[in-house]
Amino acid sequence: MNEALISPFIINHPTAVQTSLYSYRAQLSRFDPSGRFVGVGTFDGTAYIYDMDTKAAVRTLDGHVKNITSLDWSRHSRYVLTSSKDWNVIVWDLSLTCDPPQRFATIRLDAPVSSASFHPRNSQIVLALTSTGEVYLQDLRPSYRERFELCEPQEEGEDEEHSRRAAMTVARFDPSGKHIFIGTSSGHILVFNTRTRVMVGRHKVSGAGGMKGFEFAKSGRRLLTNSSDRTLRQFNLPTYPRPGEGILETELEPTHRFNDPITKTAWNAMSYSPDGEWLAGGSADPASHKIYIWDISNDGQFTTALDGGRDSLLHLHWHPSKSSIVSTALHGNIFIWHSPNPERWGAFAGGFEEVDENVEYEEKEDEFDVEDEEEILKRKMKAEEEDVDVDSLEDDAHQNVQLISQNDEDDHWADQEPDEDATSWKMKIVIMEGGDTLP
Amino acid sequence: MDPLEGMDDSSTDDDNTSQTTEDDPQVPDHSAQAPPAPAPQPSTSTTSSTTSTIPARERPQYQLKHVISGHTMSISAVKFSPDGTLLASCGAENIVKIWNPFTGELIRNLSGHTAGLSDISWSNDSVYLASASDDTTVRIWEVDTGVCHKLLRGHTKWVFCLNYNSTATLLVSGACDGDVKIWDTKRGKCLKTLHAHLDYVTAVHFNRDSSLIVSCALDGLIRIWNTTNGQCLKTLAEGHDAICQQVQFSPNSKYILSTAHDSAIRLWDYQTTRCLKTYTGHVNAKYCISACFSVTGGKWIVAGSEDHKTYIWDLQTREVVQVLEGHQDVVVAVATHPARNMIATGSIDSDLTIRIWEDQRN
Repeated sequence: MNEALISPFIINHPTAVQTSLYSYRAQLSRFDPSGRFVGVGTFDGTAYIYDMDTKAAVRTLDGHVKNITSLDWSRHSRYVLTSSKDWNVIVWDLSLTCDPPQRFATIRLDAPVSSASFHPRNSQIVLALTSTGEVYLQDLRPSYRERFELCEPQEEGEDEEHSRRAAMTVARFDPSGKHIFIGTSSGHILVFNTRTRVMVGRHKVSGAGGMKGFEFAKSGRRLLTNSSDRTLRQFNLPTYPRPGEGILETELEPTHRFNDPITKTAWNAMSYSPDGEWLAGGSADPASHKIYIWDISNDGQFTTALDGGRDSLLHLHWHPSKSSIVSTALHGNIFIWHSPNPERWGAFAGGFEEVDENVEYEEKEDEFDVEDEEEILKRKMKAEEEDVDVDSLEDDAHQNVQLISQNDEDDHWADQEPDEDATSWKMKIVIMEGGDTLP
Repeated sequence: MDPLEGMDDSSTDDDNTSQTTEDDPQVPDHSAQAPPAPAPQPSTSTTSSTTSTIPARERPQYQLKHVISGHTMSISAVKFSPDGTLLASCGAENIVKIWNPFTGELIRNLSGHTAGLSDISWSNDSVYLASASDDTTVRIWEVDTGVCHKLLRGHTKWVFCLNYNSTATLLVSGACDGDVKIWDTKRGKCLKTLHAHLDYVTAVHFNRDSSLIVSCALDGLIRIWNTTNGQCLKTLAEGHDAICQQVQFSPNSKYILSTAHDSAIRLWDYQTTRCLKTYTGHVNAKYCISACFSVTGGKWIVAGSEDHKTYIWDLQTREVVQVLEGHQDVVVAVATHPARNMIATGSIDSDLTIRIWEDQRN
């Protein structure tokens, strides 16, 4: 909202650690869609919600008995989803006042869960991937209640290959929620229509090896893949046929490839900046905490590598609107990176403007003219006639969670029986006892 | 002010004046109004003459609903709870009073401070209330139980103003030594101290997403701060005679509204440092008088005045659209209801009442 005043330039990439939060055995941390909170999943199975105003943990989500493999936020941050190796996916409701919070829903699968996520439009639709390579779409809405396994359709005469069907290793909704993208161990990307569960696209990415991770730019037009050949590939996505109109089978050619040609490091995580102009890649180097930054707008050029010390990087996530990254280090440190602005001392003086270099001042023609006071007053009054808008909120904060809406049947399907995730929910402040409390 | 407007713009104004007098037993007729009216200033007369050609806008018709007495010393602030069910008030007698704004009944006293109170603020869920006191502390109360949950120590001088952020995670307070402190409300710890001003900090306010704080002080400066790192981002300086004593962000945080001792209330675009609107007609040269936005019905600016009245301006035209009379002393505290067209006003010394006004067009 005030990015313009705080930093007058466009979003830059972060350059330094602003705060480090310590969370015992943290494994991953993600900003919520408003940027107010960070959700942290640990190896112990406990998740924590940190408040970014105070940089303190405000909720402890205790429910899993094995390590948390992924964490997702609903679009207005009311619900949090955690998936764990204990075969469970738990949905938490942060608006409840009880502390510790109670689980809102539990989804039990038949194998350790390697990732799970909310549908971007409705948190009652959950996509889950198990470590055995199966992907389930679970619909929790009362009148749809079902679990559906997404399978690659087999063509006739392929029976012998059937047994060697490649395991699914990545499953993500695209930002509109219209499609589900699934990556396989054989280097394929499968695209399903969410509503009909029909496969609408299949891509071969040659040379990539098994898929390890997907990331979408906010527009949903660009997909970034992480694969076992230690290269990040960016693709421009084609338009997919409507369900029932066939399957788009093409080989996708990446627009950019990102890797470290010298150390050939693998990648643990990647994230686009909110405007999609920057890409951050978290290196899997076991002896350093390195975040590589590439400038997408400048033809994907490598810009810098941020160094966060010696604890290796496990996960990173870019803030939904600001120039800020949260990165998780082995041994429990969570770094909040920011791009600091030097203090402008000129800001302390009213009507004072700093210039970088001396400027020969040229007096304007009418600068010291004595004007009729009444004229000035009249002009001022005239200027004040203009209408102002003091209360409408065409707010940037809401743009961050705004969805790409095509307003078609897919959206209508997802919007039926909406969840109770509204912008107006409030996180109750639980005042900690102890310290300076007096009767 | 008012009689002058009445002459300019015939019918609507007459209705207004008659209504304000009707609901007020102390001022029985029209003639009693004319003498105390301040001499019309040139600025406002031009305003009304230019706007008289514009078709008359709708005007508020606030009427007195309740006169609440209970305070024994000067009232310094009145605030509606965000859910609209309660009204809190504080004054020089060490106690916060919680009222039912619809009946005027006293619900609870929050006592514990050892010196007078200057300001109060509600948390967004209407559960907690923070109070700023001359005993140099800030207290956080749970209003339902009356329990004081936190005592925030750290200021070295009287705490003069405070405000919660929109999520109630932070509290900002300003003191008479020029310091502004940012507190973590959950743990009751001071997160940051800004050596913001050289004189009494008279108002502090968060913007909607808590990224900025605006402060103003008797040194005449309005400063905007980055909440996260405490950097000063901008300073707005008014004229020499215009010592600013109250400042706040507009509901959408695009502008700031400031009241100053040259009897003017100004709306600023803080990005460009441009004054967009000036509201005049009231008297304010000595006291810290609060102003507020009213956005529930028409768009108004409401402020107290040293001529014992409360003024309501049209946000856009800058005309005085209604004057609420009844208080016997300076009206320093005003608050608007979050959902209804309701105004609460509080006065000092010889009056000591809170008055609740409600728009008749509801």
